[in-house]
Amino acid sequence: MPFSWAQLKSIQSEQLLPKDAVTVFSINNISLLQKISMDELVNYEFMSEVHQELFDGSTSGKTLKDAGLDFNQRLNLFYGKTNTHELTGFTFGVSDRKALFEVFDDFQNLESDIPGLAVYGTFFNNLMIKDNVALLIRIEPTMEHIDEVTDSIWFARGNEMPFDFFDDQISPDPENILDEETFEDNPNTNIFPEATENPLVKNYYELRDSVQMMLQEAALSAVIQEIFVQGANLYNTDTRFAAQLAHQAEGAFYLDNARNLDKSQGLWYFQTVLPTLYKDIQELYAGNVILGDLFLRDNQIDFEVDALYGPALGSIYQQMNDARFDKRVLDYIPASSPAYFTYNINLQQAYDQAFKVLLPLLSDEKNAQIAMNVLTLELLNEFINKEALFDTYKGSMFGTFNGIKKVTTKKIEFTYDEESFEYEERETQTQTDMPIFTMGFSTARPDIPELILKHMGRLTSRIQRFDNYWRIDNAILDAAPLYIINTGKLLILSNDEDLARFHSKGYGKEALGNKASKKAMRSGFMYGKVDVTQTLDRFPTEVLTPRNAEIVASLKGKSGQLELTSTETDAAHTRFKLSYHFEGQEAPGKHFLDLVNSLYVIYTLNP
Amino acid sequence: MKILFSFLLLLSLVSCIEISDDITIKNDGSGTFRYKINLSESLVKVNSILALDSLNGKPVPSKAEISAKINEFVRLLDAQSGITNVLVEENYTDYIFKFSCDFTNIKQLQDAIRLTIEQITNEKYPVGAEQYWLSWDGTTLVRTIPAYFTQQIKNFKFEDDEKLKTGVYASITRFERPVASFENKLGALSKNQMSVLVRTNTFDLKNNQHLLDNTIVLTPR
Repeated sequence: MPFSWAQLKSIQSEQLLPKDAVTVFSINNISLLQKISMDELVNYEFMSEVHQELFDGSTSGKTLKDAGLDFNQRLNLFYGKTNTHELTGFTFGVSDRKALFEVFDDFQNLESDIPGLAVYGTFFNNLMIKDNVALLIRIEPTMEHIDEVTDSIWFARGNEMPFDFFDDQISPDPENILDEETFEDNPNTNIFPEATENPLVKNYYELRDSVQMMLQEAALSAVIQEIFVQGANLYNTDTRFAAQLAHQAEGAFYLDNARNLDKSQGLWYFQTVLPTLYKDIQELYAGNVILGDLFLRDNQIDFEVDALYGPALGSIYQQMNDARFDKRVLDYIPASSPAYFTYNINLQQAYDQAFKVLLPLLSDEKNAQIAMNVLTLELLNEFINKEALFDTYKGSMFGTFNGIKKVTTKKIEFTYDEESFEYEERETQTQTDMPIFTMGFSTARPDIPELILKHMGRLTSRIQRFDNYWRIDNAILDAAPLYIINTGKLLILSNDEDLARFHSKGYGKEALGNKASKKAMRSGFMYGKVDVTQTLDRFPTEVLTPRNAEIVASLKGKSGQLELTSTETDAAHTRFKLSYHFEGQEAPGKHFLDLVNSLYVIYTLNP
Repeated sequence: MKILFSFLLLLSLVSCIEISDDITIKNDGSGTFRYKINLSESLVKVNSILALDSLNGKPVPSKAEISAKINEFVRLLDAQSGITNVLVEENYTDYIFKFSCDFTNIKQLQDAIRLTIEQITNEKYPVGAEQYWLSWDGTTLVRTIPAYFTQQIKNFKFEDDEKLKTGVYASITRFERPVASFENKLGALSKNQMSVLVRTNTFDLKNNQHLLDNTIVLTPR
């Protein structure tokens, strides 16, 4: 029976989510956000990255309440990517259309051939309102798709290559490849096609612009048809998502990792060159969905996540997480540590299971390179002493961030004699701020790292043996030493001299207390705790990758504690819980948005 | 240009920096110009930045790219009229960079540096900016900081202004005969009376780019 809008007595904002949405944040209790100003809201990455241009003079000083949003409905932020386009936006309830357009005053009314559907547009976005629900969406065709369609039309019309990039005149000099070229400043640079003499015939770039616009319109039209005519939306097509929204939580999170993989640009090689293997990988990831609930409790926000996966992937995770917690690591985490984690996996079982699951997939592939890789893998599997390997690194590890400490490094100083101000260079010592990290893992073969260090120490004077530890000079950023402590059961690496010299047998009474230790031990395969104020505000983001730096930056300026726990893993899923405990009288709505924002940054940034 | 910009960005992130410019002027107006940048106190910071692919959305140059740019600068400067013996020392262990060249006269030195900057950055020297920052009439030397550099200093947002106070900028002017007087109150005269040193911290210099300006008068020949 065809879909009829009238069948739905009361449509809700979540029923306007496009079925191609891969990531969704759904905020249920949006009354929390009533008092948050638009100016504040637009500072969040999830708003500013998506629809910054909506926020201008007309929104300044206004709140969501002023914008006529219906606070009895969910606010759903979404992001999706198909093989042809990307789509972002949000859906929400509308209680006062007049107020909405007074705040967002850039929208123009567009024609709509669907009864009861009002369509509006700005240069970037489209807004559809049906009854009291709205979908604000931006659709961008992917560059690859635009190029593909444009090239197809261009060459089908009998055109030659649109530009000659192989001309010596413009071949880039490798040394200056990063330099900006200033074509506009040089009218004699004749490398782009001129406008044609016949104004009705488009050059390549004009054609490409037209193609981009048509693809955008076609994709938008298809989404409108799907949602408002066929009634196909994410809520209807994915029962897991619908079930998640039924939870009594302030917010919900949905990420379909299987579809994420499907659209991953990084796998284009597999898609095009090894289609069978790509299909196998797809099957491996089938059912891999991450579902989450956000709960707002007294001075605490809990993000409870359920990572679901299919049987094949699940079997690997299950074996990987079948590990015993090594209590010894707790002796090396000081109670004063502002951030630490423990990670507890069984690498050998995970390897054996992955070998069992993945090798047949690879062996079936009829490709010379893959066949050679499979042969190498199988030979290594036969020849390598796996027991020694996995006894050396069993898989369980811990890490701590012990704040910023002064470390001694050398510097060169210029000095000037008084006679003639001739200068000399003098080597002196200086104190430099350095983040102190410690990382360690369980080992049943302490003799192997000892063997390596002993022989390396014979090769260079930079590696020296002390009573309880090894020191490698200038190992950290060519400036500070790295200390290696081999306890016989744990191998610990740190740039903390204090740990190496005075705590090589553990922190004793200064180590984590019973309560904190128990939490770490009972927390499945991983546990993490971060004092936000002490850690993130002081964390040197320069040492991180841009992606991780952005994640840390999104959490900076907050106060409180973050705690990550996990449950035991089985073949179907693993559960995680991220708790954000904050102090003081700060508005919970703001903390809620802070956390949503950080999660948005973590989950949506392109790797 | 991007590599040069990234290198300047890198310098702006490094607060503990020691810079020394050193000019020797002989009685005939010829001389030697030396410039030294010492980042050894910021070794950890420099290495951590160079380990990244990009910073604040800008690509971080590799050591090879920095070296290539420095050598390009040397090559271009060496080709300018009135400039000889262009030498550069790059020490990537302690991050100390030393540059020196001889010049026939002060005007040629300034023209050569300006032209080289224009060539290497593909940008015209800022319109309206003073082209000459040194003047010499045989007895009196008037020196300022080139407008091009003061503009760069103004534009850069330093990561930690407070730490700039530990940075040092030393400006030395040497002559073949004794100095009679000089105007800069921060200046000091060497015991042999033939060199003037003006020294300040990089924080004060950022806030007042005329701190190193000086007018030095020599004794008659």
